[in-house]
Amino acid sequence: MSVTTLSKSIFLTATPETVWRFLTEKEKLGQWFHPSKEDLTEGREYELLETGDDGISKTVCWGTVVSMDEPNSMQWTFTVTPLGGAMTTVHWKLEAMTGGTRLTLTHEGVSEAAGESALGLLIALDKGWDEHFMSMRSVVSALNAKQ
Amino acid sequence: MRTRVQDSFRALADPTRREILVMLSKREMTIGEIAAEFPITRAAVKKHLTMLEEGQLISVHPIGRERINRLEPTGIKNVHDWMSYFDQFWDDKLSSLQTLLNNQ
Repeated sequence: MSVTTLSKSIFLTATPETVWRFLTEKEKLGQWFHPSKEDLTEGREYELLETGDDGISKTVCWGTVVSMDEPNSMQWTFTVTPLGGAMTTVHWKLEAMTGGTRLTLTHEGVSEAAGESALGLLIALDKGWDEHFMSMRSVVSALNAKQ
Repeated sequence: MRTRVQDSFRALADPTRREILVMLSKREMTIGEIAAEFPITRAAVKKHLTMLEEGQLISVHPIGRERINRLEPTGIKNVHDWMSYFDQFWDDKLSSLQTLLNNQ
């Protein structure tokens, strides 16, 4: 696990089977995250939507369901609009406990993906940004050097 | 709960607003000058500028009767910090899930 991995655990007073449905069914995802275009299926792409002020639904999070082990674990590739399609990895773990479920989220690859999108922003914004992007450039080159 | 870093990302998520930022990176502009570059109403441009200002990506300065829009480094600094963005993002989402399931 790298230093740029995010990991969070919460305790839920519901069975893993119930929690699983909230992670994979389109309407239930909409109740706490963003509604999905379709129920999530192993090996398939997914799109999570947000309805804007203008009433138009836009895809705000998307990726592929890499693996599913109902109701124990699931792995997604995951990106958000400002990351511009640079993919990160989200892993969900569901553990049955007395009285409920411990749900653990692990999110990896964020700084690498941010490096890619920073590069895209740099190209788009060109000069004039130099002073603000100086630090971002060094981040990007550090990332590239690692690869 | 919306946080400042999320305001910055929300502001950056729209292609028109990113275009406005690119224009402002070259020079400071009034709302009229910006509106002249886009096939959308002045009111729509005003809305975009408000969101950019909320995201701390631009600042607005009154000069005489004009209001000049200027690129602002604060929001860009926030955007550098993707880890804190996702940290807050997941905290918000997971606490919604917790509220939802634990109140059933």
